[in-house]
Amino acid sequence: MMKGLLLKEFYVASRTCRSILFVAVVFFALSFFGRDSQFFFLYPLMMVSLFPVTLLSYDERDGWDKYSLTLPCTRAQLVSAKYLIGLIFGGAVFLLAELLLAVRLFLNGAFDAGAFLSLSSALLLLGLLGPSLLMPFTFKFGSEKGRMAYYLVIVLLFAAIALLAGMGFYTYLEKFSWLVIGAAVLLYLGSWRLSIFFYEKREL
Amino acid sequence: MNALEIRNLTKSYPGFRLEKLDLTLPSGCILGLVGENGAGKSTTIKLILDMIRRDEGSITLLGRDNREDAVLRQEIGVVLDEVGLPACLNPAQIGKLMADIYSNWDPALYSRCLRQLDLPAGKAFGTFSRGMKMKLGIAVALAHRPRLLLLDEPTSGLDPVVRDEVVELFSEFTRDESHAVLISSHIVSDLEKLCDYIAFLHKGRLMLCEEKDVLLEEYGLIQCSAKALEELDPAAIRGKKISPYGVQALVRRDGVPDGMPVSPVSLEELFIFMAKEAV
Repeated sequence: MMKGLLLKEFYVASRTCRSILFVAVVFFALSFFGRDSQFFFLYPLMMVSLFPVTLLSYDERDGWDKYSLTLPCTRAQLVSAKYLIGLIFGGAVFLLAELLLAVRLFLNGAFDAGAFLSLSSALLLLGLLGPSLLMPFTFKFGSEKGRMAYYLVIVLLFAAIALLAGMGFYTYLEKFSWLVIGAAVLLYLGSWRLSIFFYEKREL
Repeated sequence: MNALEIRNLTKSYPGFRLEKLDLTLPSGCILGLVGENGAGKSTTIKLILDMIRRDEGSITLLGRDNREDAVLRQEIGVVLDEVGLPACLNPAQIGKLMADIYSNWDPALYSRCLRQLDLPAGKAFGTFSRGMKMKLGIAVALAHRPRLLLLDEPTSGLDPVVRDEVVELFSEFTRDESHAVLISSHIVSDLEKLCDYIAFLHKGRLMLCEEKDVLLEEYGLIQCSAKALEELDPAAIRGKKISPYGVQALVRRDGVPDGMPVSPVSLEELFIFMAKEAV
């Protein structure tokens, strides 16, 4: 059941989100080869982690949101497929970002486990923040009404990253890295549960 | 066993109310749900599929409450007015994912349906014409060997040749006596070819639900003067159309005096007369 729903998401994502993947690769290249630009590791992760929101808007355009309710699966499974696909794509990009970051720090002779962990926790938090905020909203109101929220969240996230990076906030994170990681995971799980609650109540 | 039983079904929206609907679809039969746009056909199908919540009443599908378990939908094939398959996927990909969703998916049957309906397996769904999209929706609905088909306006917007092919497929499906079809349409001529039972919905109310052959036997059309119509039993008159040349009226044959010529009525005429009378 879930395999079929995930397969659908893979097919649609591979056809419709190619441009996002291309931009992600360019940003990774920039961040890997550029100077003092760890900051750019965040952009691809944030863009890819918002795949599920993009997929929901394609579902609405195609009428899949209604059709999928006629399939022998629960609304919770339909919501979970979106969160899982977000974790799969976002997780792959997160791991790639971690790898590139570690390699880059080693090559520059600047690798420090504490700093790496704090950077990782920031990556994870900012990667999960976007979908965690947007998905419940989209499942409750639909992607059309969610579009403004989508752009608003993207602008706010990018502004927050720029501001915090400017303040050198990674250094403050070192003491709280595990706390940040835990909060990010809890936020995503809470958002998942809330989306199921909203979607089970929604009439399509 | 009845494939579908609806009792006292009520659903209200601002400006529309589906009112205490009762419908029964026996296994082995095709029930046509007829009504003008906005009569409540799609609302009824959405309620059956639990896509929207009912205010009152009960819906039993294949002997079980429709909200009991999503697994029940393994045995139901659905084609919606807007087919709803992803535009960028081709029929081959759709077949692969449906095989993981439906436990009784039959890939050989799906391939046979694609061939029979002349659908290319490698072309994206979004590039299909309206007729091809509908045919693919039907192929998907049939390929998991359902016992009940729920079809919302499956023939609207199709050219006559495709409509004929589609109607033939549904007839073939009900040759098995454990199968049943609920089909909604405002193209009454398609339902006349296909259905055993006809239900007329008008502004959210069920005007009648009867065996098609009984309807066509019981009702007829008369042409007469306004004065002659007044002399008839008012209970026998179900609708009338007055023109400068006289009156055409839909009547119950058993309420008309012997010797008065009564011509056969089509389902379309029957529906139009009744809907206008009910306004």
